[in-house]
Amino acid sequence: MQVSTDSMHSSHYVIFNADICTGCTNCIKACPTKAIRLYNDNPTCLTDNCIRCGECLRVCPTGAISTTTYELEALQKDKVSITLVSPVLYSQFKGVMPNDILLAVKKIGFHHVMDLSYYIEMFLYAAEEYIIENRITGRSPWPLISPACPVVIRLIAYQFPKLLPHLIPIMRPVSLLAKETRANISREYKIKKDAVILYHLTPCPAKMVPSKSSFAPENSLVDRTMGIKDVYAQISGQLKHMKKNGIEALREESETQKISGNCLLWGISGGEIAGINSDKTLAVSGLRETIAYLEKIELGLFKDIEYIEFRTCPEGCVGGALNAVDKYIAKNTVLKMLRKFGLERLIPREKVILLYENGWGLSDTTQDELQRIFGVYKEHISIEQLKDIEKIMQQIQGKDCAACGAPDCRTFAEDVVMGKAVLNDCIMLRKREIDKISEYK
Amino acid sequence: MTAFKKSFNIKKRDFVRAGEASINVQNILKSLNMDHKLIRRIAICGYESEMNVVMHGGDGILTVEINTGKIILDIEDNGDGIENIELAMQKGYSTATEEHREMGFGAGMGLPNMKANSDILSVESEKGKGTQVHMEFNVSAD
Repeated sequence: MQVSTDSMHSSHYVIFNADICTGCTNCIKACPTKAIRLYNDNPTCLTDNCIRCGECLRVCPTGAISTTTYELEALQKDKVSITLVSPVLYSQFKGVMPNDILLAVKKIGFHHVMDLSYYIEMFLYAAEEYIIENRITGRSPWPLISPACPVVIRLIAYQFPKLLPHLIPIMRPVSLLAKETRANISREYKIKKDAVILYHLTPCPAKMVPSKSSFAPENSLVDRTMGIKDVYAQISGQLKHMKKNGIEALREESETQKISGNCLLWGISGGEIAGINSDKTLAVSGLRETIAYLEKIELGLFKDIEYIEFRTCPEGCVGGALNAVDKYIAKNTVLKMLRKFGLERLIPREKVILLYENGWGLSDTTQDELQRIFGVYKEHISIEQLKDIEKIMQQIQGKDCAACGAPDCRTFAEDVVMGKAVLNDCIMLRKREIDKISEYK
Repeated sequence: MTAFKKSFNIKKRDFVRAGEASINVQNILKSLNMDHKLIRRIAICGYESEMNVVMHGGDGILTVEINTGKIILDIEDNGDGIENIELAMQKGYSTATEEHREMGFGAGMGLPNMKANSDILSVESEKGKGTQVHMEFNVSAD
């Protein structure tokens, strides 16, 4: 077994509160990479196998699972703090204009608040350009896969490494924004780049890890991430205060940021491809569906599709585990707001194409790097071990009850063969033994 | 050393679940850390033959046999059978029904694709009695 020396894997993503945990095994069964086990009634995450999808957070009935979060008190100590706001935040406050929400976020204690509109449009232009190029060069295999969802990238690198060439090598909007903002602010304030503290306010469970353990080198462009639900109360408090005192962003702030409809739509499934100028696209959301589609792409299907947008959260990022508002309500808020904003782009194509041709926005994380970070951690077995696993499965004749602490009989058998569990942990086997004894009596 | 062997059922006309056997085979090969390209070839062959069974074959069984130097796929069904195997091996020759074509299948590439992606392919069939497909894939030593 390869031991991880990389700090990227040493930090814990999920924290289990053993006092609240009832041992129901919901999270163990929900985990797509089978990374959770129950050892002596204590849930444990095998960090090397964790893709940070947040599925365990979603299914836990008692709230015993949480992610690493950031305390707002720390804000006061930062020299210049900027928060990059995920467009999903706008979906959390019905009937409130995005600019007012940005102002409220600023008022809870940031020097600057940045919206993603421009960078989402730039991303869309770059993706379109890549598709057009690929029709001629055939550099990447069809279908191209959107790199926007960090869990999808982890999932592919971990479980479907041969699909890595399908990912388009363009940086995600938030990474583009982070890169530009850090450079601009350090110039403006005449301070060192690392004195600029970049926060990311996000619904995404994958990003809730200290920066160094983020999914790819480019993501470490953000210093700290905050879950929307963790600051939701403060933001709505500020919004109430603003309403009471008649404060409106459009009148107060000298420089209000223009919000693009494409940015609003980004948070719901299909929002990315809605803006992309190709008919041969698909939008898939939800973890199970995403895995099913990736399996089919591996079988050589969907070659007639040019671009697939995957989001592992149900309904897209509005279904993110760190949101405050229900996904369907959030989705409605977005769709209604869209009637005001439309889908017209704010920046002209020519401006972006020039940047794109100069290589701006292309990701510097290579496929090899992605696979090095995630791909090698999976343990491989021999044909002999495979036979042993099959033999144990025959012996157990189980019902995937998970009482042993593994998600299913197959994983349990694997654990036994790899020396991580003992056969006696299986209650089905023990039950049959007891039955046998009582028959003799 | 004896080989690892496992069988999967394929159900007649079950287009929704078609491909599951191949995905299972693929996952087993992945856990063994086989070469990506080899897995892909096997997966394509498995999927094509599975589709053939679902479309024409009635119920069938896909069996994978894993040896150190060789992987074998055997697909047997009790369906329509193939009238003229030579003709069926030609690119673009198809006996797919209108319904199949509407679903996006039946381009006549099934057997040719399997031939292109396997090291050995043999097909035995009798009209009305069913078909046996045998495919072998060599595993390079490294």
